[in-house]
Amino acid sequence: MSTPASQFKEPLESVRARVADDLRAVVAAESVLSDIESLRPYECDGLSAYRKLPLVVVLPDRIEQVQEVARYCFKNDIPIVARGAGTGLSGGALPIENGVILSLAKFNRVLKIDAQNRTAVVQPGVRNLAISEAVAHLDLYYAPDPSSQIACTIGGNVAENAGGLHCLKYGLTVHNILKLKIVTVDGDLVTIGSDALDSPGYDLLSILTGSEGLLGIIVEVTVKLLPKPECARVIMASFDDIEKAGNAVGNIIAAGIIPGGLEMMDNAAIRATEDFVHAGYDVEAAAILLCELDGIPDEVEDDIESVKVVLAQSGYTQMQIAENEAQRQLFWSGRKAAFPAVGRISPDYYCIDGTIPRRALGSVLNKITELSKEYGLRVVNVFHAGDGNLHPLILYDGNVEGDLEKTELLAARILQLCIEVGGTITGEHGVGMEKIDQMCVQFDSLELTQFHAVKEAFDEKRLLNPDKAVPTLHRCAEFGAMHVHKGQLKFPEIERF
Amino acid sequence: MQTNLADFIRHTAEGAEADSILRSCVHCGFCTATCPTYQLLGDELDGPRGRIYLIKQVLEGTPPAHATQLHLDRCLTCRSCETTCPSGVRFGRLLDIGRHVVETQVGRTVVDRALRKLLRTILPYRNRFGPLLRCGQVFRGMMPPVLKKMTPPRVAAAPWPDNRHQREMLVLNGCVQPAIAPNINSDTARVLDRLGIRLITTNDGCCGALSQHLNAREEALKFIRRNVDTWWPHIEAGVEAIVSTASGCGVMLKDYGYLLREDPGYADKAAKISALTRDISEILETEDLKKLRPNTKLRVAFQSPCSLQHGLRLTGRVERILTSLGFSLVAVPDAHLCCGSAGTYSILNPTISSQLKKNKLEALGSGAPDVIATANIGCLSHLQSEASVPVVHWISLVADS
Amino acid sequence: MSSDSAQDLIAAVKRACDRKVALCLQGGNTKDFYGREPCGEPISILSHSGIVDYAPTELVITARGGTRLTEIESVVAEHKQMLAFEPPSFGSEATLGGTIASGLSGPRRPYVGAARDFTLGIRMINGRGEDLKFGGKVMKNVAGYDVSRLLVGSMGTLGVLLEISLKVLPVPKVEQTLMFELEQDQALALQNDWARKPSPISATSYREGVLHIRLSGSEKGVKAARARLGGEKIDHGRKHWHDIKEQRHKFFSQSGPLWRISVPPTAPTLNIPGSALLEWSGALRWLITDTPAQKIRAEVDKLGGHAVLFRGGDRENAFHPLATAVHKLHENLKKAFDPMGVLNPGRMYEGI
Repeated sequence: MSTPASQFKEPLESVRARVADDLRAVVAAESVLSDIESLRPYECDGLSAYRKLPLVVVLPDRIEQVQEVARYCFKNDIPIVARGAGTGLSGGALPIENGVILSLAKFNRVLKIDAQNRTAVVQPGVRNLAISEAVAHLDLYYAPDPSSQIACTIGGNVAENAGGLHCLKYGLTVHNILKLKIVTVDGDLVTIGSDALDSPGYDLLSILTGSEGLLGIIVEVTVKLLPKPECARVIMASFDDIEKAGNAVGNIIAAGIIPGGLEMMDNAAIRATEDFVHAGYDVEAAAILLCELDGIPDEVEDDIESVKVVLAQSGYTQMQIAENEAQRQLFWSGRKAAFPAVGRISPDYYCIDGTIPRRALGSVLNKITELSKEYGLRVVNVFHAGDGNLHPLILYDGNVEGDLEKTELLAARILQLCIEVGGTITGEHGVGMEKIDQMCVQFDSLELTQFHAVKEAFDEKRLLNPDKAVPTLHRCAEFGAMHVHKGQLKFPEIERF
Repeated sequence: MQTNLADFIRHTAEGAEADSILRSCVHCGFCTATCPTYQLLGDELDGPRGRIYLIKQVLEGTPPAHATQLHLDRCLTCRSCETTCPSGVRFGRLLDIGRHVVETQVGRTVVDRALRKLLRTILPYRNRFGPLLRCGQVFRGMMPPVLKKMTPPRVAAAPWPDNRHQREMLVLNGCVQPAIAPNINSDTARVLDRLGIRLITTNDGCCGALSQHLNAREEALKFIRRNVDTWWPHIEAGVEAIVSTASGCGVMLKDYGYLLREDPGYADKAAKISALTRDISEILETEDLKKLRPNTKLRVAFQSPCSLQHGLRLTGRVERILTSLGFSLVAVPDAHLCCGSAGTYSILNPTISSQLKKNKLEALGSGAPDVIATANIGCLSHLQSEASVPVVHWISLVADS
Repeated sequence: MSSDSAQDLIAAVKRACDRKVALCLQGGNTKDFYGREPCGEPISILSHSGIVDYAPTELVITARGGTRLTEIESVVAEHKQMLAFEPPSFGSEATLGGTIASGLSGPRRPYVGAARDFTLGIRMINGRGEDLKFGGKVMKNVAGYDVSRLLVGSMGTLGVLLEISLKVLPVPKVEQTLMFELEQDQALALQNDWARKPSPISATSYREGVLHIRLSGSEKGVKAARARLGGEKIDHGRKHWHDIKEQRHKFFSQSGPLWRISVPPTAPTLNIPGSALLEWSGALRWLITDTPAQKIRAEVDKLGGHAVLFRGGDRENAFHPLATAVHKLHENLKKAFDPMGVLNPGRMYEGI
C-alpha cells in the first residue's frame, strides 16, 4: 500500500526544489540539503544494502524548528523519517523517496545532570556513550550499552528500544528512561512519562519506546543513571564445542546467578575481532563465553567462585579472569567491535537479531551451521547469550551478483527458525525495512491490524516513517506468508488500510 | 560496501586501492563519533562515513560539484576515524585519492587557488617564511590583535651541544619549526646529548606534507626527493635513526617509502628512511631516563596531536614518559579530538578551526595546568595564540633542568 | 482450565461488542476499590486459569489471567525464584490478570523494576473480541509496538488478559532488615545518598521517625553493606515488608482517604497536612488526608509527580488528570483497542 503522499502531481525534482525552499524558511539555508550529491550519503543507515534517495534532508537544531518542519509536512502530506546517527541495522532510517529525512544529529547536548535524583536530561542526538562519559565523574552511568554505543544516539536507542551487553541484569532502554518529549506528527510538543517512577494513565513510555519513529519524533530524553558497580570482573572461558558453551549459559542462570553480561562468540568471530583488538582471545576455541559479574566486591567474589564451578562442570577448555580494569575493557572491546571487525574478513555482512529461549541455543546454532552449508554462505555468530539474543552475521559480497538475494533468503530461514522455537525476529535492532516481511510470519492479520490501529492513534495520516516496522496486509499477502488465523483469512479487512 | 567504480579510474592503481578501501567499509558509522567536524556540525556529509560516500559516488562516475569539494575540504585529516574504525578502513589514503580526483574535476576559484598557491610558496621554505615571521615579530607590538594572535613571539634557542658520541641520530629541521620554535630541536639535542647520543642536523627542507595536503603531489615528491638526497650520505654513514620532533612531519616521513614506491631511483632509499624514522617519544621510551633530571614542578596538560595518536598510533607514550620522569599530568577530556590546527586548515577553514581550538583549550584547561605540552609545531603555534598558559613542546619540559 | 475458557471469553466480548454493552472485568475482586467506580455487566476471568509454561532456567513463567497470584508465587518459590516486583495482592483471591491490569508493584520496585518491566508478553482479547498475542517469552523482543507493556496498568480498559509471560528472578540468598531512628528530612537525604552508591538495598519504608531498610544479596554482600550502613537489625523484617506491601501495616488502618503519591525521590517532605508513610527511597508517599484533591495535585504537580486517590474518598477523579494532548492520545488508543467502549469503560478516566 502506498503512503497518502506518494502521488505528487508534479515531477519529483520540482517538488524537491519547492519543499527545500519552503524548509529554508524554517531552518538555516545550509541545514536543508536538496542537491542529489549531498542527499546521496543519506540514502542508507547502518544497513547499507537498502538504499533510497530522500526528497530532502533537514537538520534543525531547535525543538521549535522540528515542530515547524512537522507542521509543514503534516499540512503538505509529506512523510518524515527521523534519523539520529544512522547506525541502525534494520533500515529504520532508510529514506522514503517522497519524504523528508529529519536529522536530529545537531541535538547533541546534555541539558541537565541531576546527580541526587540519578537522572540526566539529554537531547536525542547525544551519543549513548557520551551520557556515561558526562556523568562518570559522579560515579554514575547509563546502563544500556549497545555495541555501537560509541556512535549511536539516545534518540535512536529509544526508537529501537536498544539493548546491549548488560541488559540481562540492567534491562533495555525501556527500563532505563523516565520521560520523553516528543513532537507529534502535527507539530505538538508532548511530554510522555515523568520525573517520578511512574505516571498516570497508560504506559505511553512503553509504546513509544521501540516504536521505530512511527509514533512521534523524540526531541528530549530523561534517562535514569545507575551508580557504577564498585567492582566488575569478567571471566572468559573457551569451549571446544559450541553447544557446550550454550549449555554453560543455562547452567549459570540455573545456579541463581544473573551476570551483568553474558556473551558468546564463535570461532570466526573470535578470529576477526582478535585481529583488531588483540584482546588475547583463544583463537583455537570453538566458542568463548564472556561472563561479567558486578556489584559490591564481596558479592562479586561469591559469584565468581560459583561461576567457576559451573563453568568447570560445563566442560570449559581454558579460563581466564581479567586481572584489572584495563584487561576487562580489553576483553569487552573485541565483543563491542565484533560486527564491523567482520568487515576485515568480508566486504559485506548481513546481521540478524533473532531472540530464542535459551534452552534452544545449542540446537539453533547447529541448525544455522547446516543452513550456512546449504546456502554456501559463511555465518559468524556473535551474541548476547544471557538473553538468548542471537546475532548471526551472514558474510557476502555485494559485488557478486545474486549474493545479497541468497543472503536474504538465508536470513529469512534463520528468522523463521527463531520463531519456530518460540522466539522473535528481533531482539533489539528493530524491524525497520529489513525484517518487515518476517513480521508477517510472527504476527497474524488481526495483530498487524491492531498495530496499525495503534499507529493511527498517534498518526492518522501515516506520515511518520510510513511503511516501516509493521507490514501492510497487502504486503504480507504478497509475501505469501499470511497466517490463516483460527480458520479465517482476514482479507476483507484489507480495505481498512 | 558494494562498489562499482567508473571506467576512468577502475583499472588504475589508485582505482584498485580506492576500491579495496571502500569495500572494507561496512557503513557502521562508528567513525562519526570521534570525528571533530561531525561532532561540531552534525551533518553526515561532514563525517568520515559521509565523506567516504561522497568519494564513492565520484569514483563511481557521478561528476562532483562544489558540495563534495566543500565537505572534503572540511576534513582535518586528523585520522581519528582510522583509530576508531574496527573494519580497518584507511580513510586518509582514500581522502587523498578523492580530493585529487575532485580537484581535477571541479577545479577551484581564482581566489582559493591563489591562497593555496601562496601558502605553498611561502610556508615550506625556511628562507621565505623565516624572514617574514621575523619581520612580523619586530612589528608585533603595533599589530592589530587579530594579526598579533597569529604571530608567535620570538623564542630563543639554547645552544646546540657539541659533544662527540658514538651514537648518532639525524633530526629533521623541516620548514616552519626552525623559525617559530628553534628551541625544540636544540632542546632535543640537549636531551639526547645527556643520553649519550649526538644529534646531527642537515640542510634539509619541508617534509612535503604541506604540499601533499594541498593536493600538489608532484611538488610534495620534489621535497621528499630533496630530503632523501640530503640525508642519504648520513644514512650510509650509519646514523641510528631519523628523529622527528614534529609528529605531523613524522607521519609524512613514515610515508616516504609508500609515496615513492613507484620511483625506481628512490623507492629503496625512501623505504629505508621511513624505516629509520622515529618520533622523539619512541627514542626516549627505550632509553634509560634516570640520567635526566628535569624540573617537574609544573602541572602539565598534554595535548596529544592527531598525527601522534592517529597518524603514528603512539597514544599514551609521551604521557608515560612524562609521568615516569615525575611530572604530574592533568586529565584532558576528549583527548582524541583535533585542536583545529591541522596544517594549513586553520587558515583555509578558520571558523571550524577556531571553534575546535576553543573546545580544545577548554578541555586542556579543565584540570588547571601550569603549562600545555604538545608534540607538533602546528598544534603548538595554533594553541599558543589563545592559550592562557604557556604552550611548549614536551621535550622542552624534559630538557629544562 | 481448558482452552474453551478462552473461547468463552472471546465470545462474550464479541457479544458485548455487537450489543454495545459495557463489560466489567473481574478476577478475584481484590482491587475493586481501585480507580473509578466499576460499571457494566460482570465478566469473570477466573475460569481461565493455570500455569501454561514455566522453565526456571529461562527465568520466564507464562500463566493464564485467572490464575491465582498465590499459586504462581508458590510455584516459582519452589525453584527459589520470585516475582521480583512484589505485586500486592490485597487478598488471597487476587489473580495474575488483575495484578497486571492494575500494574501495581511492591517494595522492591525501585531497585529491580515494576510490573511493566517484568512483563514480556501477553495474549489478550481486544474490544472487538479478537484473540491477539504480543511480545513473547524471551527477554528481548522489539517486533511490533510494545503492546504488552501498554496493557500493564491499563485497568482492563484496553483488553482482557488471557495469558501473561513474566520474567522471574532468583530469590536473594540472604535478606535482612535494618532500622534507623531519624527525622523525615534526614531520612530522605540519607536514602538518596545511599542510592547514589551501589548497595544491596531492596526496600525502604519510613513512618513516624523510623526508617526501615531491607538488604538482599549474598551472605558476604549483605554483611558488608550492613557494616557500612549501620542501623539496628530487626527480626520481623519479612512480616514488616509483607504488611507494607499488603497495606496491613497499622498506618493503613487509619480512617480517611488514602492517597498514593509518586514523586522524584529527592522531592522534599510534602507540604500537605495528613499522616504519611514513605517507600521506594522517597519516591512513593502514602498519605491519609482530607485535603481536597485539587490542592494535593497542585502541590504534587510542582514536584513533577502525580497523585492517585487509592482508597476512599470521591472516586470520580481517582487518577491524576492528564495533559490535554496526552488525554487525546489516551482516547485515541482506547478507540484503537476498544472502539465500542465495552471493556471496563470509565474505570480509568471518563470515556476511557
